Amino acid sequence: MDDDVTLLALVARGDGGALARLYQAYAGRLFGYLLRLAGDRMVAEEILQDTMLAVWRAAGGFAGASTVSTWLFGIARRQAYYRLRGQPPPAPFEPVDRADPAPGPEELAIAAAGGSPVAGAVGDLPDHQRDVVALVFVAGLPLAEAAAILGVPVGTVKSRLHHARAALARTLATQGVPE
Amino acid sequence: MNEHILEYATGALDDTARAEVDAHLAGCAPCRADVAAWRALGDVRADPAPPGPELVHQVLLRSALGGPPLATRRPAWFSLALLRAEARLVRPAVPIASALVMALGVALAAGQGQAGQILAFVAPVVAALGIAGLYGPRRDPAFELVAATPTAPGLILLTRIALVFGYDLVLALAASGVLAVLGADPGGLVAIVDAWLGPMALLSALSLVLAVWFSADVAAGVAVVLWSLRVLAGGFLDDTGWLLGAVRVVWATNAGTVLAAAALTALAVFLIGRGEPIRRHGATYPS
Repeated sequence: MDDDVTLLALVARGDGGALARLYQAYAGRLFGYLLRLAGDRMVAEEILQDTMLAVWRAAGGFAGASTVSTWLFGIARRQAYYRLRGQPPPAPFEPVDRADPAPGPEELAIAAAGGSPVAGAVGDLPDHQRDVVALVFVAGLPLAEAAAILGVPVGTVKSRLHHARAALARTLATQGVPE
Repeated sequence: MNEHILEYATGALDDTARAEVDAHLAGCAPCRADVAAWRALGDVRADPAPPGPELVHQVLLRSALGGPPLATRRPAWFSLALLRAEARLVRPAVPIASALVMALGVALAAGQGQAGQILAFVAPVVAALGIAGLYGPRRDPAFELVAATPTAPGLILLTRIALVFGYDLVLALAASGVLAVLGADPGGLVAIVDAWLGPMALLSALSLVLAVWFSADVAAGVAVVLWSLRVLAGGFLDDTGWLLGAVRVVWATNAGTVLAAAALTALAVFLIGRGEPIRRHGATYPS
């Protein structure tokens, strides 16, 4: 944890090597998270690049109020929403359990990406459920950090996870895939 | 135990709690299935590998090429900088000619008893002709360049009005001050200023609207014609028609003329944001 903070301080001073080390430490988790949000490999790579550019430019603004991983995934989430929706992420008090009626391009793209059945079904989840599943199980963040990134209580994170799992089980059952 | 299964699956439990759940899982198949179902949500086996370290190179390159992020707010000194930039676009002939004509007016008025009347002839036409040349593709050497900047045309117009009309206002005030000191008008400074202020504002505003709507030539022509009518009305053509009478009513400093001038200026600022920058049919938009 302290390593990340010192690494970020070096990035803030303009050390490109530190940015490379930071990227190496987080690339897999960030990419997995963005892949779930974007549903498309190329788009996820673009957002990852946007994210690292934002990190490079905004590293000086890291005040240590959160952990580095919370800060990083918060930036990634914001960049993803800008890129995918052209707008900032929804406010935390958005309706929690309402499915997104409009199928975005990512839903279509995940099928083409040839992911696993579960990954494909995760792509079918509404935005807020997919976001939390990707943060907790793909990026491997603790529930409290996921809650901080999403700006919701930990209880909401848990309930979204339960809903996501139930929805996923239904989807896989209709597709005839054993859970 | 159910409460802890989710945390266990995410890896968020501390060591002692995890040991407890481990012990429970060893003898409970449904809970083991539960954990597996949770972890299946994060199935990353089919994920493509993340981009390699070359991504960081691309980021650094983008950052170097992109330069500093664009300023989204204008700095506090923007108005001052705009004023300075626009001042450099005013051709020196305009302020010099204005000053010379005004000096001539002062020289003429100094010998008369009615200095205010003389200045009321000179100041409005000087200002109106200066305003007429304020804007337009043929008058402004940097017209196309300025039209391509993100600054709103209305703001540019207002800046130029402030420059040119402000300059003429200062000139006329200075001339009035000189004449008042010389005692060339029995009414003093107030009477002199009163004689030219309203006509100057109204004629300039009219000239501005015509310059924006039609062209600088039309604006200058109309300004000169109206000015001539006023000269005739004030001179030897006394009481010869309703038109001259109307001109004399309009040609005064009162609330009506000031309001009309303000309304015409607002109309010009409104018009300038709507029309095509270069008034040639279909020059910028397909129609």
